[in-house]
Amino acid sequence: MEPENAARDDTGATAMNTAVDALGADMVLDEATPATLDAFLAQVERRAFRMAEMQLRHREDAMDAVQDAMLRLVKHYRDKPATEWAPLFWGILRRRVVDLQRRRKVRSIVVGWLGGGHDKEGDELPVWEPADQSPGPLDRLHDVQSYADMAAAVNTLPRRQREAFMLRMLEGLDGKETAQAMGCSEGSVKTHLSRAMHTLRDQLENWR
Amino acid sequence: MNMPDTESTRPGDRSGSLAGDLSDQRLQQRARELYREAGRRVDPATAGRLRAARRQALETAGKPSHQVSHWLIPSGAVAVIALASLMLWQPLPQGGNRPATTVEAATDLDNELPPDADKTDPVLYQNLDFYTWLAAADRHPTTR
Repeated sequence: MEPENAARDDTGATAMNTAVDALGADMVLDEATPATLDAFLAQVERRAFRMAEMQLRHREDAMDAVQDAMLRLVKHYRDKPATEWAPLFWGILRRRVVDLQRRRKVRSIVVGWLGGGHDKEGDELPVWEPADQSPGPLDRLHDVQSYADMAAAVNTLPRRQREAFMLRMLEGLDGKETAQAMGCSEGSVKTHLSRAMHTLRDQLENWR
Repeated sequence: MNMPDTESTRPGDRSGSLAGDLSDQRLQQRARELYREAGRRVDPATAGRLRAARRQALETAGKPSHQVSHWLIPSGAVAVIALASLMLWQPLPQGGNRPATTVEAATDLDNELPPDADKTDPVLYQNLDFYTWLAAADRHPTTR
């Protein structure tokens, strides 16, 4: 990274962190730390589904990812303090989503090898994705279009920026928890987040 | 809520852009509101499946059979290693040479017995005199 860009990122990250902290004070602390693992999972399971769905764009895959994340959390980390459950759970879910995306990519490559990647005229077909025939989950949501726009914009971000935005901004983890869930330093989280916000600002300039 | 204005830190980023209508804080707040609302409005079927998945996770991970299987493999490995060690380091029996002596004695005894007619080459019987003479010659070698 160039020094000028790095300085700009640092400035942006600092400002972003301040803004998120202010936002977090209003929105994050509305949920007390649950006393039991059951209560914790009940608290996060639907949002986890939305987060996985937003990234995978497939409801069944999202369900599989959340189910597996819950199972792994209970199996391996049930004895951890309750304050650690959130970063552990979101970290597990993040890795499951990445795994599923990689599998999908490999599947797409295999389909390409088998001749499914090009049409009769030799033009490349779009990347294969599983068909999702289930009814839309947002039928009753008032802000369907806004949510869809946001999800589409978030999905254009590079993976690490997307993860930082979703964990820090949407889920409301603090910097340390986000870093733990992403397996990187807090500084990296700030940099990813700053870049993500920079991109989203441009993409969502007309967004409400 | 009193939010800091991040625009003031990056004046060049936002100049001449419609993005000024939506500050970072509003974008963050709006995005989170939509995300949380979407989480609350998961359809009943999906919510039921999530609830079932949670119960299954809690029950499956809490089953004692997992604890048993958790210890089964290490215990089995230890038992196999112990058995192998016992077999390797077990001292040899004191009367180890006794079977060999018995075999030698049996061999000597066989030499004293007449040859089995069914298993012996018939030529031996046809030239029995010759072989008798040959055996006697071996016992009393002649000097030239």
